[in-house]
Amino acid sequence: MKPYLIGLAVALVLAVAPFVLGGYETNVLMMMLFFVILAVGLDLVAGYCGQFSFATGAFYGLGAYTAAIMSRDLGSPIWLNLPAGAVVAGLFGLLLGIPALRLKGHFLAIVTIAFQTIVYLVISQWTSFTGGQVGVSLPNPAPLTAFGVTLVQLGSLRSYYWLTLAVAVICLLLAWRLAHSRLGSEWIAIRDDETLAAAVGIDTTRGKLTAFIASAALAGVAGVLTAHAMRGVTPDDFTIWISATVVAMMVLGGRGTFIGPILGAVFLVLMPEVLGRLAEYKMLIYGSLLVLAITLMPEGVIGRLRRRAAR
Amino acid sequence: MSKIIEAKGITKRFGGVVAVNAVDLSVEKGQIVGLIGPNGSGKSTMVNLVTGELLADEGGLLFNGHDISRMPLYKRARLGMARSFQMLRLFHSLSVEENLVLASHMRMTTSVVDSLFGRAAAREETERARAKARELLAWFDLQEFAERPVTAMSIGQQRMVEIARGLMSEPTLLVLDEPAAGLSPPNVDKLIVLIRRLRDEFGISILLVEHVMRVVRDLCDRVVVLDSGQKIAEGVPDVVVKDPVVVEAYIGSGWKRRAQA
Ligand SMILES: Nc1ncnc2c1ncn2[C@@H]1O[C@H](COP(=O)(O)OP(=O)(O)O)[C@@H](O)[C@H]1O
Ligand SMILES: [Mg+2]
Repeated sequence: MKPYLIGLAVALVLAVAPFVLGGYETNVLMMMLFFVILAVGLDLVAGYCGQFSFATGAFYGLGAYTAAIMSRDLGSPIWLNLPAGAVVAGLFGLLLGIPALRLKGHFLAIVTIAFQTIVYLVISQWTSFTGGQVGVSLPNPAPLTAFGVTLVQLGSLRSYYWLTLAVAVICLLLAWRLAHSRLGSEWIAIRDDETLAAAVGIDTTRGKLTAFIASAALAGVAGVLTAHAMRGVTPDDFTIWISATVVAMMVLGGRGTFIGPILGAVFLVLMPEVLGRLAEYKMLIYGSLLVLAITLMPEGVIGRLRRRAAR
Repeated sequence: MSKIIEAKGITKRFGGVVAVNAVDLSVEKGQIVGLIGPNGSGKSTMVNLVTGELLADEGGLLFNGHDISRMPLYKRARLGMARSFQMLRLFHSLSVEENLVLASHMRMTTSVVDSLFGRAAAREETERARAKARELLAWFDLQEFAERPVTAMSIGQQRMVEIARGLMSEPTLLVLDEPAAGLSPPNVDKLIVLIRRLRDEFGISILLVEHVMRVVRDLCDRVVVLDSGQKIAEGVPDVVVKDPVVVEAYIGSGWKRRAQA
């Protein structure tokens, strides 16, 4: 029960935050939530299941473009785009999972980089469908309605922030359940020793593919939220830099620890805000932190703390 | 007596090396069959072919009369095979109990989706697996390690956990690859008693790869001897170990390998 209560308390604090904070800060918190979803999603496949992926940015983009293109061509509202983005990104996750059935380690990492690059190239070059470098712009999110009655206005920053928070809470809850279900322990088994996992009867194909799908679907949801928040998408919002940043968040916080990547995302999103003018060197600082962390503390902050506690 | 596992003319090559060369091997139900031979003679390769970690280049493999030669590892486990490894293998980031529980996932009747949503039936099923894991650990006198990481145990204790893990799924065939390696003589005695009980009380058929002759002589109904990937002898332990071909293989292997180098 305890983790659920802590989560609820944090969510409540975040829910009242816009009453005290200005618009700019609320926006930063919203960005933070997007990255929390991305980092937790990556942690499922890379942290729990041990399948390293540099393709988070691609799945993020696939979700965002799904929302943008569906809004443009079908006029579909956000509540439809959210599951659609999850499904489209999830299907591509399945696609990337297939080479992972054969490849390991560096070779898999290279394939995920290639996938990221291909997705970027397609969304930036297929001008007739994706708008090329200009991207696609979205109208203000339509209000949530049921039977002609308006339930929630989503046009204002505050209301959209609350929607983001609600979706983030659902995503984290799902991810938490996944990680702590039987499937989650099979992912850990695959990470620890894939051959042994199969030898004790675990279907490692199912394990790896579900991890890829879950991870990609979460990134897709973050993408849909981002597309509507930004009122548009461009290819440069979904580059390999995003992937690298999310990897840094996960590694710094501690992979496979669930809470670690969340804290990593909070830290790396808020840090540039505190740095002021130094924020220009954001990527440099992220990079240095990552190198330091991997050298000195490869299990991440939370991983290190847990190991201490276990002793 | 019907055969639980039967390999017919099974062959495995690694590049130029023929690690297992047209070997016939079978284990009858309720028997303990030994697989012996000098280092590098192909015993572990044979084990891997039986359990499915490796697929044979030639030959057939039957489990209870059904052809399983193309069947992947995890499906063979589900059919009722369990194994231990010559080089200890356990999930290092999990507790001893979790290591055992994972081996019974394949026997669970509630779905992964039930487990995801924390349904009562799924929780109870996991609880039952935990209770069974603890029972087995108590049987091995290792109950105090249930919640500890596997690395907290000695090599000998980890070997016992590997066997306990094998029992979790209630296998009909247990394949043990050098279970006595690294055990002290008193522990070897315990192991002999234990393996016999597995057969007598649980009715598990056992394929036993072993280096320690005492274990083989005490336990095996029949032994198969490999040398350089070929079967050179087969029969009752006391007779086979006196077979001049076998003696030659064991004594000769030292200088023969050196002569080849
Ligand atoms: N994965 C592998 N790749 C290449 N050669 C191997 C592999 N596994 C085993 N061998 C070779 O096959 C032969 C038999 O090895 P193994 O089955 O481990 O013998 P044993 O268990 O009897 O000591 C040895 O010559 C070994 O070097
Ligand atoms: Mg061996």
